[in-house]
Amino acid sequence: MTLGNTARIALTAMRRNKVRAALTMLGVVIGVASVIAMVALGSGARAAIDEQVQAQGANLVFVSSGSFGRGGGGVRGGAGTVQSLTLDDARVLAELPGVRAFSPQVRGRVQAITGNQNWNTQVEGGNEQYLAIRNWTIASGENFNGRDVLTAQNVCLLGATVAATLFPDADPVGQLVRLKHLPFRVVGVLGPKGQGQWGNDQDDVVIAPYTTIQKKLLGITFLHSVMLTAASAEAVEPLAVSATRLMRERHRIASPEEDDFSVRTVEEMAATRTQMAQTMTLLLMSVASVSLLVGGIGIMNIMLVSVTERTREIGLRMAVGARTREVLLQFLSESVALSVAGGVLGIGLGLAASRLLTGALGWPTQVTASAIALAFGFAAAVGVFFGFYPARRASLLDPIEALRHE
Amino acid sequence: MPPIVEVEGLRKTYRLGDVDVHALRGVDLSIEKGAFVAVIGASGSGKSTFMNMLGLLDHPSAGRYRLDGEDVTDLDRDGRALRRNHKIGFVFQSFNLLPRTSALENVSLPLLYGGRTVPRAQAEARARALLQAVGLEDRAHHLPSQLSGGQQQRVAIARALVNEPELVLADEPTGNLDTRTSVEVMEILQRLNREHGLTVVLVTHEHDIAEYGTRVVTFRDGRVVSDEAVTRRRDARAERARLPEEEVVPA
Repeated sequence: MTLGNTARIALTAMRRNKVRAALTMLGVVIGVASVIAMVALGSGARAAIDEQVQAQGANLVFVSSGSFGRGGGGVRGGAGTVQSLTLDDARVLAELPGVRAFSPQVRGRVQAITGNQNWNTQVEGGNEQYLAIRNWTIASGENFNGRDVLTAQNVCLLGATVAATLFPDADPVGQLVRLKHLPFRVVGVLGPKGQGQWGNDQDDVVIAPYTTIQKKLLGITFLHSVMLTAASAEAVEPLAVSATRLMRERHRIASPEEDDFSVRTVEEMAATRTQMAQTMTLLLMSVASVSLLVGGIGIMNIMLVSVTERTREIGLRMAVGARTREVLLQFLSESVALSVAGGVLGIGLGLAASRLLTGALGWPTQVTASAIALAFGFAAAVGVFFGFYPARRASLLDPIEALRHE
Repeated sequence: MPPIVEVEGLRKTYRLGDVDVHALRGVDLSIEKGAFVAVIGASGSGKSTFMNMLGLLDHPSAGRYRLDGEDVTDLDRDGRALRRNHKIGFVFQSFNLLPRTSALENVSLPLLYGGRTVPRAQAEARARALLQAVGLEDRAHHLPSQLSGGQQQRVAIARALVNEPELVLADEPTGNLDTRTSVEVMEILQRLNREHGLTVVLVTHEHDIAEYGTRVVTFRDGRVVSDEAVTRRRDARAERARLPEEEVVPA
């Protein structure tokens, strides 16, 4: 029998029992829809995390100063309390292979004052590449340049929150802002980044040349961290490894316990959250898969009923020459038609459900082609798996008994 | 010409609980091409079992069966299915048409099987020609439920012929029909036998139906007890012409 004829017989059988076919499909429809919606939810969560990672700066490697007193007894400081990270370290780190951009970083909390407004904020000092490294955009004005850094000019960029607080009605570009005792000229306003990974306001920041901050504002000689951008995502890990090795050499450190610095990557910092999202997705998906499985059992049940009901038909088909395989394929194609049709409807429902989750609840979702393919493939496999036993039973009926069946 | 059917020492034993039931106890029979053989016997005589053997729906416990010169005794399931498709047409007492399927599709059903692909248009043309041969060309798209018993049996005959079989096995084909439609069905079988040389084996328990054949084989207790030529063969066409005209009730 040709494939076309087999498919035609299967579709005819489905059309004859529309309600029954629809109810049987429902299990698969719900299963496929929930798999798609759950995977979309998981992918959405991961995409949101990735976005936040990107906001930190893509392919970023942080080398920050560690705490004093590591590995020994006595009082220990917190991270960044050791003062051994220097500009020389930064310059050597920048020479490592795979580094596309680098910037020293110093930071502190200061009171920013202008006219009758004031605001306590974080000030970050970097070089002219700092904005690019941290994925900052400029909303108005412009970045400070290499000369400003070299000559420690009193220029700064305001984060969106700071700009809105200090200059509620005016354009801040060109205005003066006092940080502690020093007047700074505002050269630009940063584009907003919004909430950070931990719910912090990333726009509550002032950025200025590190030279100015380090020497004039904070009066320190060390750096808080060095930021390196790797040339590619693949280069991040090797760069972190070679940066660690280089720092140990430069600081003459023998064992990891004595490290007076730490090397971290943004991906590493997001890893826990990514892992959590993954676990959640897996959990939700396995629950969804159970409903797909239950749908499959529904198909098997109905196919068994159908085989019993149509015993005479099977007997007749055998009498006129249907072979074992032809009867098997006929019933198998019916169950696959049921599950595939259920799969198609389920994909539609899953897409709608994902949209609803985003629209009504504001949860990020992302429907991927691979999730659709996976759910659909799973549905078809359910049809084959659960259809096989009833189909085999039909194909092995004794034609004489089948013909006599009432 | 070799006989179409040749059986030797055919036996069939069923096991029913602890008892062995001997349905056939050694049957020797050969049927020539173009014969019209009526097999009669009471219920339990083994005639139905014998028909199942001839139709390759069952295989014997012992003995040999040659169909159209080929030994088919030891064929497997699928081998038997293929021979059924190519060489045998079945007509059943209860018609056995697929419900909710048009007469045309019922007739072309055997063309779906048999390991060869008959193009749809060709299959339909063949089925249509056969419906015409049994006088139902205007009922091609009717469902079995819209046809009378006699019409349904004629569709079933058309289905039996669609693969141009060597042998038609009719198992009590008139058992569910009234006198008039019985005569009509027998007329078709007689015509096919006379005009196309089709070999027909007819199972019945009624002597008068058996007399439409050329030869009557009587079964009793799993054996052939008599095998005689029919001396005064009944002619269904002449009988139908003599039947009073009935008002035709559209089905």
